[in-house]
Amino acid sequence: MKPLFINGASCISPQPTFGTEFPFEAKEYTGSRLSCIEPDYAPYIDPKLSRRMGRLLKYGTTAGLQALRDAGIQVPDAISTGTGFGLLDDSGKFLKNVIEAGEGVVSPTAFIQSTHNTVSSNIALAIGCHAHNNTFAHKGFSFESALVDAQMLATEDDKMANILVGAYDEVTDYSYQIMQRLGLIRSGGESNTELLKTTGRGTIAGEGAAFFVLSTQKAENTYATYRGCKLIYKPSSAQTLSEAIEAFLAGHGLDRSEASVLSGVCGDDRRDTILRAINEGLFKGNTVLAYKHLCGEYMTSSAFGMWAAVNILRTRGVPEYMLLSGTPSCPQHILICNSYKNDYSLILLSVA
Amino acid sequence: MKSPIYIAGIGIISAIGDNAAETLAHLTASETGVSGMEILPSAYAGTLPVAEVKYTNAQLAAKSGLEPWQTRTAQLSMIAAREAKENSKIDFSKWRCGFISANTVGGMDRTEDFMKDFLADASSGDLHDVINHDSGDATEIVAEKLGCTDYITTISTACSSSANAMMYGARLIQNDIVDVIVAGGTDALSRFTLNGFKSLMILDEQLCQPFDENRRGLNLGEGAGYVVLVSQRVLDSEQVKPLAILSGYANANDAYHQTASSPEGNGNYAAMTGALAMARLTPAQIDYINLHGTGTPNNDVSEGTAIRRVFGDTPPVMSSTKAYTGHTLGASAGIEGVISVLALQHGVVFPNLRHQTQMKELAFGPQTSLLKRPLAHVLSNSFGFGGNCSSVIFSKS
Repeated sequence: MKPLFINGASCISPQPTFGTEFPFEAKEYTGSRLSCIEPDYAPYIDPKLSRRMGRLLKYGTTAGLQALRDAGIQVPDAISTGTGFGLLDDSGKFLKNVIEAGEGVVSPTAFIQSTHNTVSSNIALAIGCHAHNNTFAHKGFSFESALVDAQMLATEDDKMANILVGAYDEVTDYSYQIMQRLGLIRSGGESNTELLKTTGRGTIAGEGAAFFVLSTQKAENTYATYRGCKLIYKPSSAQTLSEAIEAFLAGHGLDRSEASVLSGVCGDDRRDTILRAINEGLFKGNTVLAYKHLCGEYMTSSAFGMWAAVNILRTRGVPEYMLLSGTPSCPQHILICNSYKNDYSLILLSVA
Repeated sequence: MKSPIYIAGIGIISAIGDNAAETLAHLTASETGVSGMEILPSAYAGTLPVAEVKYTNAQLAAKSGLEPWQTRTAQLSMIAAREAKENSKIDFSKWRCGFISANTVGGMDRTEDFMKDFLADASSGDLHDVINHDSGDATEIVAEKLGCTDYITTISTACSSSANAMMYGARLIQNDIVDVIVAGGTDALSRFTLNGFKSLMILDEQLCQPFDENRRGLNLGEGAGYVVLVSQRVLDSEQVKPLAILSGYANANDAYHQTASSPEGNGNYAAMTGALAMARLTPAQIDYINLHGTGTPNNDVSEGTAIRRVFGDTPPVMSSTKAYTGHTLGASAGIEGVISVLALQHGVVFPNLRHQTQMKELAFGPQTSLLKRPLAHVLSNSFGFGGNCSSVIFSKS
């Protein structure tokens, strides 16, 4: 499938990634729950409307609209997005209302907003976009499925010039409490900067929204080239994944020594086994970067990773705080190797 | 469309049967699946009719082979997807196989049990009931059982979800990412969705009457429907005959309102014309429209208006089968896709049940009696919240 140019990018996250210059000044957190730094929504959403909107609907919509502005595009030719849990806070709120009312009279607002496709359709509504509009809700494949959707669209239809792709998730009081009970969260009060330096059980919970305009034509503002994405379900071993990575890179004319790696390790030894083995095996000697200590772990965190990666490729500089191993040299190619439980994915990006 | 995509198998479970044969029998006999609530433990049992699959979770588990604590969404998915796989007669082990499923509720049917205890005390509630909450969970459980792990994903675009799953699956084959795709959707009834639609005041307290002047709203249903999609290469190699061709499809957005459709049916119009263009068909070549036809005042007038814009005042015969299956949300396009294939295979248009009075905004109405005639092309519409509108065309192979 044909490579695409990333001509617009935007990210709202627990880091100062929105309306700032890259590299941003990394914010340090103690505690195991990272929440988005919310911007002023007024330049993006009519305050009369945003008053009734949930947090994720606001920051998801804003990130999407800003990516379009960044690319100088008013209406894209398609919108494709991913979300692991959808609008979890509204789902929880509506469920609570129903239970507390004993299934009596409840307001429909939270129910309307709880649908997974609310952000994607709200963006379409805001800009009057009648084109292809998709929402994937599949754990660690949510964002990746949208990337594949976009690349297929661009390959199938010559008229596709600009496609808005993004992903978004939120952590809520309920989901955080449940993750704690499931033993998925670190218990200590350590700094997020220590997450990947120490081994332990559990990760830190995160959230965020990142959007991109993927275009068929290069522009002045182009961040990077998007080459392709591969979804790999439950690789049986690090060896299996190594082989899949080498085949994927070879398919794009690259050798493993040529790519810097942006690794999706999350700090939980039980979940990082395969990715750590890849970093220390297949990519021994390569520059290996990481991002989940910055945004926390969530199903669509690879979109945060991609936002950081395209900025690295554009600015030709690697922030020290992302370096896991190797030297902070300017990469030509970044391979994002992510995993969320059973879902492993590869995203390849190159200097435009 | 670059190369044709064929439907090699179908599978379905809903209130009108556990498989394709039972579904066809009930459709042909005009027997509805909408009735009083017996399975869903809701305060609305006795007042709101639903189209339930009349099995408890334990009974479903005995059929699906999954664990009884796994979600109803997964149980329904497993039963229908397995039927589709077996019906296809294709040896999945020889091919790169994927599973593209759709749903809107995920494991909500279990989460709502959990939440009751959890809200009272955050350290209580059985975690088993909540670990399958996200929409992708049922998809992974079933994909593993089917042996379709080369590409797995879940689409959630409200009521058009499983139409988009079929399209995505077809495109994955055309782009040579996989060879065989099982695509469709599943959704279980839950108190969450029942109360949600109730709060929107679009549920009918009687049996729904799609496309009727005096329609009052929809009845919710549950179930799952899947098709097996393959290329010509797979058909030739496996020496199997296809059931139908997936000849056209389109995904468009109404961009009008989060829950209501535009009066002109702009999204619906764009979806239908887009699907016709891809199939290289003129409107006159469509023999039957399987309507989205939910029975809500807003949907049916919007859809009818869009049909008039595409087909004029003498459109093809049409019917909504939601009077049989209820509105199964994320599963509806999968279920209606299977019903459309059955219509093509058997040369039959299923009547739109309970239609009494012509809608005053339209010059045409739905087919109200069983019609037997050869069909070449069937258009299936699915329109959802968020303005997500999708149409799919199934053609005789």
